[in-house]
Amino acid sequence: MKKSYQNIDHKRDNGDIWFNDLQRKRDKGPSLGTDRYQEYSESTKSVHAGQYDDPKTGALGTPIFQCSTFYLNKESYEAIEEGRGRDEMIYSRYGNPSQWSVQEKLSSLENAESSIVFSSGMAAISSALLAILDKGSHVVSSRDIYGGTYNFLYEDLDKFGMSVTFTSPTNLKEIEAAIQENTKVLYFEALTNPLLKITPVKELVALGKKYNLRVIIDNTFLTPYNVKMLDLGVDIVVNSATKYLNGHSDLIGGTVSGSRKLVDRIWPQLLKNGGAMDPHACFLLERSLKTFALRMRTHNSNGMLLATYLENHPRVKKVYYPGLASHNQHELAKEQLNGRNSGMISFEIEGGDVNAHALLDYLKLPKEATSLGGVESLISLPYNTSQASLTKDQQKAIGINDGLVRLSTGIEDIEDLISDFEQAIHKTFKN
Amino acid sequence: MLNNINIAGLSEYANEVRENNIEGKAAFGVELNWESGTKTIVNTKNMTLGSHKIVRDFNFTIDEPSQLLGVNCAPNPSEYLLGGLAGCMAVTFMTGASAMNINIDQLKLEIDGEYNYKAFLGLEPGANPGFPELKFIFHVKGNGTQEQYDKLIERVTKHSPNFNTIQNEVRMIGELVS
Repeated sequence: MKKSYQNIDHKRDNGDIWFNDLQRKRDKGPSLGTDRYQEYSESTKSVHAGQYDDPKTGALGTPIFQCSTFYLNKESYEAIEEGRGRDEMIYSRYGNPSQWSVQEKLSSLENAESSIVFSSGMAAISSALLAILDKGSHVVSSRDIYGGTYNFLYEDLDKFGMSVTFTSPTNLKEIEAAIQENTKVLYFEALTNPLLKITPVKELVALGKKYNLRVIIDNTFLTPYNVKMLDLGVDIVVNSATKYLNGHSDLIGGTVSGSRKLVDRIWPQLLKNGGAMDPHACFLLERSLKTFALRMRTHNSNGMLLATYLENHPRVKKVYYPGLASHNQHELAKEQLNGRNSGMISFEIEGGDVNAHALLDYLKLPKEATSLGGVESLISLPYNTSQASLTKDQQKAIGINDGLVRLSTGIEDIEDLISDFEQAIHKTFKN
Repeated sequence: MLNNINIAGLSEYANEVRENNIEGKAAFGVELNWESGTKTIVNTKNMTLGSHKIVRDFNFTIDEPSQLLGVNCAPNPSEYLLGGLAGCMAVTFMTGASAMNINIDQLKLEIDGEYNYKAFLGLEPGANPGFPELKFIFHVKGNGTQEQYDKLIERVTKHSPNFNTIQNEVRMIGELVS
C-alpha cells in the first residue's frame, strides 16, 4: 500500500484516526512498475530487469531522463506531506527514473528489496555508515580495507563522536574481541585488496546476530554475480559500481542494497550528503550491466587460468588467488565463493619491485593504471599506489612484499593474455 | 512533512509491528552514578529495538536546590520525572496530530504537582511521599478544532507510554549488589 491514508480519508477528515489505522506498508523498490525478472538467472536479469520501455513512443530501453526536477502535482505534494518522497519524482537528488531503473536491476541481481545508486563508491560507503551509526557508536572493521574507506573511518568518524577498531578480516576471535558495548556495525570487505583475503561472511553474520549488530559488506571485488551477500544474511551490501558492475572504466559510481527498511534510512543521508548518481551515469551503468553476467563469467574464467599459469611460472614466487589450492583460505573459498573467484590476482615476481616495474613496462595488454574490474586488464603495484602511505616495514608487516603486483584480469582472450605475460616475463629476466 | 513528522514512516512501522511483534519491543535503561552530595550523573544505556542495538551516548546531571541540600546545578529528580512525562505526552500528541492532519504552530505543555516532604522525612508514617495528583495543561495553536484536540488528548492519555507508566501500577523489582 503506497499511501498512509488509502481508503481511510474520511476517518482522517473526522479526526477519528490512530496509528493502527494507517495503511502504508514497506514495499520493495521504488520502481517505475518495471519487472525484476526475479525468478530468472543472472544473464536474463542483467539484460532485462528494471528496464523501462517508454509506453508513449514504444522506444525499447530506458531513456536518459536528463532532468534535475519534475512537475509538482497533487501526488507529489501529498508525498512530501506524508514523508514518502522516495516514492515520487520530485527532484533528481531525491530520485529520477534513470536511477530507479538501474536500481531495480541491481536489486534483482543482489536479491535486495531496495537499492540506491551513488555518484561514487565512497559516497555510498560514507552515506551508509553515517546513516546506520548512532552518536557515540563504534565500528569494527579491517585494517586491510580500501584506503578511501580506511581514511573515512580513521580520520572522520571521531568528528561525529564515533570510533573504529581495525582488526584482521579473517580472525573471528580478534573481531569478536574488538566488539565493545557501543559497537553498532561490523564493516568488512568480502575479498581484500591486494592480498585477496576472504572475510568469513557467514560467521561474521552470526557474530552480528549474537551482539545485535548490523553487518555491512563491501562486495566490490566479488560482485553479486559471484556471491549474493544479502543471501548470506548481511544487512547492507555496498559496491563501487566503478569496478565490475559498470566494467568499462568509464564512470564513477557506488551502490547500496538491502532491506527497504534499512535502505530507506540511508536515503535521507544521501539527500544530506549529496552524492546522487547523475542520470547519464545511470544510463551507462544500466547499459553496462546488461553484459554483467557475461563479463563476470569471463573475468572468473580468465582469472583462474591466468592465476594457474602464473603459479606454474618459475619466475613467479607466489600467487594470491582464492581459486588456487595454494590460497590459505582455499577451503573457505570453495564454500563461500563456489568456484566464482573473480578476476583479481596478486603475485610476487622474482627480483622485487625493480623487476615488477620492468614487467609492467613490457606487458602490452594489461594497462598500468589504478582501479579494477574493467573489460581491459589493469595492472599496478600496491607499494606505490594503494598502500603508498605505508612505510616499507609497515607494508611488509601486512604482507605487501617486494615485487608484489596486483592484476585485474580483463575479458581479453586468455591465450593472448598468457602469451603477453610469457613474453613480458621473458624480457624482464633476459635484460 | 506535516509538523516535520514522517507519517509514512510511522505507518510503515505500525504495519511492520502488526506483522512482526518483535519489532515493537523496546528495551531501555539508565545507569546512575553518585557524584557528591545530592548530585548524580545519569548515563543512558544502549537500547534495543526489535533485535538491534541503538547506541544511546547521552548523559545528564541531577541535583537538588540548595534549600534541599544540593548545590542547585541541575534539575531535580521530580523535575526530570515530570519532564519525561511531558516529553512523552508531547511526542504522542504531535504524532497523533500529524496523523489526524492537524497543522500545529505551537505546543506548550505544563505539568504541575505538589507533594509534602513530611512523608519523605518520616514525619507522617503511612502517607504517600509521591505526587498524589498531577495537573497538565496543553497550550496549542494550530488549525485543529476543539473537538479534535479533545480527542487527541484522550488518545495521549490512552497511548503515551510514560503517562501510562505513571498512571498504572508498575512492578518494582529491586536488588542490592555490594
